[in-house]
Amino acid sequence: MTALLEAEGIAKHYPVRQGLIRAKTVGTVRAVDGVSFSVRKGETLALVGESGCGKSTTARLVLRLIEPSAGHVRFDGVDITTLDRAALRAFRRRAQIVFQDPYASLNPRFTVAETLREPLEVHGIGDGRSRKARVEELLSLVGLAPYHAARYGHEFSGGQRQRIGIARALAAGPDLVVCDEPVSALDVSIQAQVVNLLRDLQRRLGLAYLFIAHDLAVVKHVADRVAVMYLGRIVEVAEKNELFRNPRHPYTRALLAAIPHPDPARRGRIVPLGGDLPSPLNPPSGCRFRTRCPFAQEICAKEDPALEDGVACHFRDELPPAGLDFSGGLAPNAARRLALFAEAGRRQGTP
Amino acid sequence: MTPLLEVEGLRTVFRTSAGEVPAVDGVSLSVERGKTLGIVGESGCGKSVLSLSIMRLVAHPGRIAAGSVRLEGKDLTTLSPAAMRDLRGRDIAMIFQEPMTSLNPVHTVGFQVTEGVRAHEPGLSAAELRARGIEALRRVRIPSPERRFDEYPHQLSGGMRQRVMIAMALAGRPKLLIADEPTTALDVTVQAQILDLLRELQAETGMAVILITHDLGVVAEMADDVAVMYAGKVVEQTDARRLFDDPQHPYTLGLLGSIPRLDEEREDLLAIRGAVPPPFALPPGCRFAPRCPFAIAACNEAQPPLLPVAEGHGAACIRAPIEKALAA
Repeated sequence: MTALLEAEGIAKHYPVRQGLIRAKTVGTVRAVDGVSFSVRKGETLALVGESGCGKSTTARLVLRLIEPSAGHVRFDGVDITTLDRAALRAFRRRAQIVFQDPYASLNPRFTVAETLREPLEVHGIGDGRSRKARVEELLSLVGLAPYHAARYGHEFSGGQRQRIGIARALAAGPDLVVCDEPVSALDVSIQAQVVNLLRDLQRRLGLAYLFIAHDLAVVKHVADRVAVMYLGRIVEVAEKNELFRNPRHPYTRALLAAIPHPDPARRGRIVPLGGDLPSPLNPPSGCRFRTRCPFAQEICAKEDPALEDGVACHFRDELPPAGLDFSGGLAPNAARRLALFAEAGRRQGTP
Repeated sequence: MTPLLEVEGLRTVFRTSAGEVPAVDGVSLSVERGKTLGIVGESGCGKSVLSLSIMRLVAHPGRIAAGSVRLEGKDLTTLSPAAMRDLRGRDIAMIFQEPMTSLNPVHTVGFQVTEGVRAHEPGLSAAELRARGIEALRRVRIPSPERRFDEYPHQLSGGMRQRVMIAMALAGRPKLLIADEPTTALDVTVQAQILDLLRELQAETGMAVILITHDLGVVAEMADDVAVMYAGKVVEQTDARRLFDDPQHPYTLGLLGSIPRLDEEREDLLAIRGAVPPPFALPPGCRFAPRCPFAIAACNEAQPPLLPVAEGHGAACIRAPIEKALAA
């Protein structure tokens, strides 16, 4: 299958200046530093990492919302890093974004109808009547009612606002939607609604997602493949099930080992990762994870490991098994009652 | 032995243009010495107002309208403001979700960590204060505390800031620490560090902890007992093991079904329909009834009390246990 989106060695460097009048560049923050990946039609690639790893910057780079310092992004075979304004606009019709904060990402002066109509107008899609029909169609697609069209963003809860944000991203009929932490700001019960909606839309519309997240449990639920980022680099990329069954990079393992399970029987098994994230202004030499890595050797300080066979680690084939246990799951009583809950909900037509 | 903290029938209301609305409505719970009580719920369930009520930090237009909060038998709701001020920091201390906004950006870490000591023990020399502050930073495992003492909050990472907050809270050696979403703003590897630290400090000092969180993973990891809150009320209360083994209230079930898990494969998450009702538009009967797939007509008539479903296990649901109700 061919790739819909291909990033090749993309980087974003921010100069750090000091001084007011004759500002001098005193350093470079390497927010994203040589990242390559691809997203196929209809699949979800999750980009996972902790704050400061460069995942949101990467999301903006692939849509060219910010200009890359290096590298290429190809969409359907066309290099979008060199497109002119008109061509870029045509590209954006096919590649859209859903932002993290549904409170900040809706224009407070727009009604929902205006919010959803704007992309149609920008791209010159349809006329007045067909746009009105499209707005209604979009609302029903994301589980909102036609009467919501006349309301303003502040009249909605966080979950509903995120539905509006998703409808806006879908308005022009994209093939790719970049979801930048779309459920992180939502309460858990609302998170589940939005996650289910995104999966449902993907099935119905054949969308591809680049899904940016820090929560590996959410990622396990939505992704086909997962790329793990650390300090501006991808350290591991794998099929989802493979990644959770056999995490290979020490950082991936550390991330997974730090997650507390909703199961008191397994209390006390979380393993904290020592130390702090180094500054991207002055990343460690060689492998960037070596300052916190329990397996680090001399070579790790000298040579930067390449991403080969899905892992960027000098000892990719020599590490002991990860020894992580993801068995368990819901207790029998809980599982039985949850099934009743789901069954009763279905009978009443829960969305 | 009496519990360290006993909250009984606590009701905290806020005056609004629509009249007085309850944010906490008839909450009773207790915390044993040295134990951790987890309070779980989503935005708007009243868990933060509950913790502020215990500290008597509810600001106008909110007020405690009814109930009592007894610490070692002493009712805090009737204490004088001066006595209450004396007790805060010494007997009960609190840490918050956002360690950046909780620290003062214009003062050094050292100045803030020693603030309590300066207030409670005036007359200490600068050198003694410094030694105490560095000791406090060392207790929360901050590396090179001598250097950190003179730094400002913006020079610290999120995890380090939360350690500073914990150091400040523990400076007065409190019997009870209230931690309001202490790791929500932190990355998962840092969260694991802070949870570890809290557990170690609790073992060292024997303090009790009220841990307020929306994260069932954190609850399972830390809590001895758990109270699940919804729209100002406790809807289920038991020990942590039993809450996960034998969840009874439909809202608890909904929460458990909503979270994606690493230890399970499921096609769709079980979403709870609708959203939490605002406190000025509460349903007349059970507050969860409009979202509950098991609700019957009787659920809309009266608020269900928290009744025992088993020894040490209460649920505020007239349909619990649900399999029996459905079979009948």
